[in-house]
Amino acid sequence: MIEALSYFATSWFDPYLLVLTALGTFAGIYIGAIPGLSVTMAASILISFTFKWEVNEALALIAGVYVGGVYGGARTAILLNIPGAPSAIATAIDGYPLAQKGLAGEAIGLSTVMSVMGGLIGVLALALAAPLIAEFAIKFTSRDYMLLGIIGILLVGTLSGESFAKGAFAGALGIMIGMIGLDPMTAETRFTFGSINLMGGIPFVVAMIGFFGVAEALVQLDHVSTTPIKQKVARIIPAWRDVHRYLALGLKSSGLGTVIGALPGTGGDIAALLAYDQAKRSTKDPEVPFGEGAKEGLIAPETANNAAVGGAFVPMLTLGIPGDAVTAIIIGALYIHGLKPGPLLLTDTPHLFWFIVGNLTLANLFLLVFGLTGIRIFTKVVECPRAILIPMIVVLSAVGAYAIQNNPVHITWALAFGVIGYVLKRYGFQVGPIILGVILGPMIDANYRRAMIGAQENVGTFVYDLISHPISLVLTCALVFMLITQLPFIKGARRSR
Amino acid sequence: MKSPDTLRPGEQLFALLLVCFAGYAFWESYGISGFKGLTTGGVMPMLASGVMLVTGGVILSDTLRKAAPLQSGPRGVIAYLFPLRVVLFTLLLSVYVAAIPSAGFLLSSGVLLFVAVWWLWQKGPVWALVISLVSIGVIHVLFRMVFQVVLPIGSLWR
Repeated sequence: MIEALSYFATSWFDPYLLVLTALGTFAGIYIGAIPGLSVTMAASILISFTFKWEVNEALALIAGVYVGGVYGGARTAILLNIPGAPSAIATAIDGYPLAQKGLAGEAIGLSTVMSVMGGLIGVLALALAAPLIAEFAIKFTSRDYMLLGIIGILLVGTLSGESFAKGAFAGALGIMIGMIGLDPMTAETRFTFGSINLMGGIPFVVAMIGFFGVAEALVQLDHVSTTPIKQKVARIIPAWRDVHRYLALGLKSSGLGTVIGALPGTGGDIAALLAYDQAKRSTKDPEVPFGEGAKEGLIAPETANNAAVGGAFVPMLTLGIPGDAVTAIIIGALYIHGLKPGPLLLTDTPHLFWFIVGNLTLANLFLLVFGLTGIRIFTKVVECPRAILIPMIVVLSAVGAYAIQNNPVHITWALAFGVIGYVLKRYGFQVGPIILGVILGPMIDANYRRAMIGAQENVGTFVYDLISHPISLVLTCALVFMLITQLPFIKGARRSR
Repeated sequence: MKSPDTLRPGEQLFALLLVCFAGYAFWESYGISGFKGLTTGGVMPMLASGVMLVTGGVILSDTLRKAAPLQSGPRGVIAYLFPLRVVLFTLLLSVYVAAIPSAGFLLSSGVLLFVAVWWLWQKGPVWALVISLVSIGVIHVLFRMVFQVVLPIGSLWR
């Protein structure tokens, strides 16, 4: 217990880590707020610079950016009616009408306090739930990890895209990209086409930078002429009466956000939308109708999306399955530092787990400070035109792709992935499953082969193992259920109901 | 997110290309180790490309059920997928990537920023120059000095 506390407080008492967390949170607020920049993009670029750092330092910065970024999206949603991040889409519905009534400052203040509350509840859930899940997950075998990997990719594909087929296609494409290079078991070449550059495989950070950074820059070219609207910001610190009045709703939304965030493949955007819907259904007499500036409509999504941050870390740290795109990138960061997220992470490196819990708590406290200050300067910064941002994103992506192995070829790859990602996005594909496929593909491959070797290369024994062991059976059922519910006639029946 | 009921320009052709690509990927995957065993290096690529082939077929069949787009034909596809701005920007990026090994990272990036900001922002060359110089300065300090990333110098300056 004392040990856990000392790990928890590492970043609180180390001045360097303290500064990095503060810097990350501060930068995250701006990154999340500026339309065109996303936390996922920032995290993927950051990994390429921080991989030489100590793991704690890298995590402090990235976790800060994550916490700040999820919150930051709300500010532009309130001030400009442009959600800075997908998790702030629901915030704009009532946040912007509040700003139009001259209550922008009050809306930002209230959303800050509630975001911090949600964030802290999410972290508390992480601290309590993760050790229990990890203890159970130690019993997982190779086939269970294989199933978990497939479920993770499919969940992201199912929940974030237009159709299951597109999500599954994207996930499989990601696995194919992850297979490029020498097979680690047999040293056979896979999709190298005789190129020496491809023998070492494609670093997933390069794919991430291309699909998230460059592709997004190309998509943003469509909105290059959009001019932001200016708002007046007055009182920022929220009235205690308001905080007290909406406390119950905040707690409820936090719980919902944490649970949704913990489901692999969901994340803050879905949590926020569900919390908004829940608040709308459960609020009997709102002071102002929803959609016209109801504070309930602002508080529910803001609390839920920040609570989802802590929730998203639960499957990531205990099962090695990311809760959302950012935790997928953080998994990558842990791999780069020689750590394997999963049940053994908590037993082998408890210091790292408690460090993350402590660091997320600290980032939330910094969020409170930065969230309630400097809003007037902030309003000037978010007016930065996309015409400047887009070329900057490209240059930062180029530095990031190059820095991984000091290889200029990686810049070309990142740009090529960017163009592919742009075309896929235009046709309704999500790039999240591709990245998950790139990261989890090799893990699925290795575990599948181990499980098959264990079954002595007998398909019957392999299938029997999948249904005769309790954990495998549950996971197999979950996978089959996911597939069945996506069948056209089942979907059609659900829709007509 | 629900799929729209109307096709996007070129969506059907794109779905067909995806199926062809998946077929080619399956063929390449088969070429790794064939059907020699269930634990060879080619099994997972074959499974993944098989999934791509099946889902690609589903995506293609979905497009056959949708209504035709308002803008169809090559012009509609180009307007939707490759508007002039995207094409020019991609060309600019290609030149940028090609220039880095010889001109170096800072000069290439500076020129890219100058040209792109001048063109996209349309506030004149002076503003574009100021922004690109300041940005390059910040990138140099931040990445070269703080993060200690060794940026490509360029063969011209060696």
